[in-house]
Amino acid sequence: MTSIVLKRVSKKFGTTSVISDLSLAIDPGEFTVFLGPSGCGKSTLLRMIAGLEDVTSGEIEIEGQRIDRAPPGERGVAMVFQNYALYPHMSVRENLSFGLKNIGMPKAQIDERVQAAARMLEMDALLERRPSQLSGGQRQRVAIGRAIVKEPRAFLFDEPLSNLDAALRSRTRVELSRLHQRMKATMIFVTHDQVEAMTMATRIVVMNQGRVEQVGTPLGIYRRPATRFVAGFIGSPAMNFLKVEPAAGEGGMAAVRLGDGTVVQTDIPTAGLEAVPAELGVRAEHVTTGGGIPATVDVVERLGDRTLVYSRLRNGAAVVYEDEGDSPVSVGDAVSLGFRRQFLHLFDASGKAHQAPTLEGGPRHG
Amino acid sequence: MRASIQGRFGDRLILVAVVALAICWLAPIFWVIGLSFKPNDVIMKTTGGLLSPPFTLKNYTDIIATSAVFGWMLNSAIVATGQTLLTLALSTLAGYGFARTDFPGKRLVFVAVLAGLAVPEQAIIVPLHTMFAEANLHNTYFGLIAPRLAVPFGVFLMTQYFRGIPAEIEEAAMLDNASRFKIFLRIVLPLSIPAQATLGIYTFLHAWNEYFWPLVSATKPEMYTLTIGLAATQTNFAQTEGIGFLMAQAVFAGLPVLILYLFFQRHIVTAVSGGFAK
Repeated sequence: MTSIVLKRVSKKFGTTSVISDLSLAIDPGEFTVFLGPSGCGKSTLLRMIAGLEDVTSGEIEIEGQRIDRAPPGERGVAMVFQNYALYPHMSVRENLSFGLKNIGMPKAQIDERVQAAARMLEMDALLERRPSQLSGGQRQRVAIGRAIVKEPRAFLFDEPLSNLDAALRSRTRVELSRLHQRMKATMIFVTHDQVEAMTMATRIVVMNQGRVEQVGTPLGIYRRPATRFVAGFIGSPAMNFLKVEPAAGEGGMAAVRLGDGTVVQTDIPTAGLEAVPAELGVRAEHVTTGGGIPATVDVVERLGDRTLVYSRLRNGAAVVYEDEGDSPVSVGDAVSLGFRRQFLHLFDASGKAHQAPTLEGGPRHG
Repeated sequence: MRASIQGRFGDRLILVAVVALAICWLAPIFWVIGLSFKPNDVIMKTTGGLLSPPFTLKNYTDIIATSAVFGWMLNSAIVATGQTLLTLALSTLAGYGFARTDFPGKRLVFVAVLAGLAVPEQAIIVPLHTMFAEANLHNTYFGLIAPRLAVPFGVFLMTQYFRGIPAEIEEAAMLDNASRFKIFLRIVLPLSIPAQATLGIYTFLHAWNEYFWPLVSATKPEMYTLTIGLAATQTNFAQTEGIGFLMAQAVFAGLPVLILYLFFQRHIVTAVSGGFAK
């Protein structure tokens, strides 16, 4: 299994800096997801590892060997592209074997690998077809198969699920997770979809404007986001952010005053705050009803198992909260909200996040 | 319901108009073919009565009797084939270079190539003649083939086509350990066959029908192309006799092109309609 290390990597296109001074270590066998909005540099970073983009400065190592000057074919990585990038004029079998022929592998061994990959991905019957004769999902499997036959040191996926419909996307997510468990290979997956990141990753690298915002396990990042950007990017519905002013807290813990004058007590030690808190963050599932903060219901979204209620505080600030699936709440209702103080986040003006020390990134507790 | 009836009526109207236009286009061709089978003395009296006898094959036997005609046809075939193959090779390589590689001044060179599209052949014929005369290249196959190779249409067409091929396909091949040349040969060339077919057909048809440059360059009868050779046999410029012979010559010269068209009809139609067969 393969480790990948990026040392102070930068990338500039002309005078535009896309990646600046980025360092990262990916452990062997990890399923790492580069997550971030469009233009954050995640695909560029992946392409730099693949060798499809030059590194402006810095080093990239695979298994301790520096590879950032090696041509793509010699890096021992395989990539699955967003639009699959299958060779349209070749059959599936030829698509899978093209790379192996190029390294002079004996035909018998090529056939063996192609058959094994075809069996693994259940596409034995498709081997003689052309890509144009396949559905989107089948093309996706061929693209993955083309990566598998090479038995690469690492798999690189560049938003490979974005062209699939919702149902196929969630099925492929599960298949990719199974594939990772079976192969125990090092995989890097680029996406802007936080659901894909949360469901598949062993570790997520959240990126923004060419920088790493946070690296951590999916639940760790969800529960203890390091910055306001991460807090807002991860989670659906997005975290509620409320403008606050500092207030006098109890027992050395910070308290803040909301725009409507309500004081909210947190479990975040005042001593740990480096700057004055500017915003309070609270996820929808950590907002309770009956807590004394008056609000009016704006929109109700019924999802079956739960209900998302969009409400407004007296000062107009929006707060979304989760209620039971059969919640009787309706638009225009006056509700009283509260926040579970152990799950609150405070953000200072620079966007740095603070949480209660007791809040851990383990499995979610009710 | 009303809309669909109107739609159907509209479709029929277009169909009738298209058929009428096609007849207008085809009428002179049928006339030419018809006249080519008529004895010259009959045509002297009237050029009507296409479908009524007498008919004759004499006009065609006269062409074949002109012993040089097969030589001219061979010359045309050599020039047209040579021009087509060389244009394809040059345009494909240059187009790939413009579409996929980066080199200093690329944009400027490409603009210069495009500017060539605006230069009419007539404007450069005199310097071209002088140049080829000084290089002793008149009355050679190279002399007949070379000038058209510099026509930039092919480079432009292939550049645009290569730009349309997703770069990821080539990147996938790079990750598959393929060299730049192998990618060009095994991935890009096979994918560009529709564009090459279009360019090849256009080039061949143009080369076959070319009159102006061969008229300047081929002055010896043994180097005539078919168009020049046939024109040279027309001694009766008043055409009071021999119109049937003239028409037979036109049919004879057009026959290879017609056969080519029948074979590559699909590609020609696609090319003319502005898209490439995928």
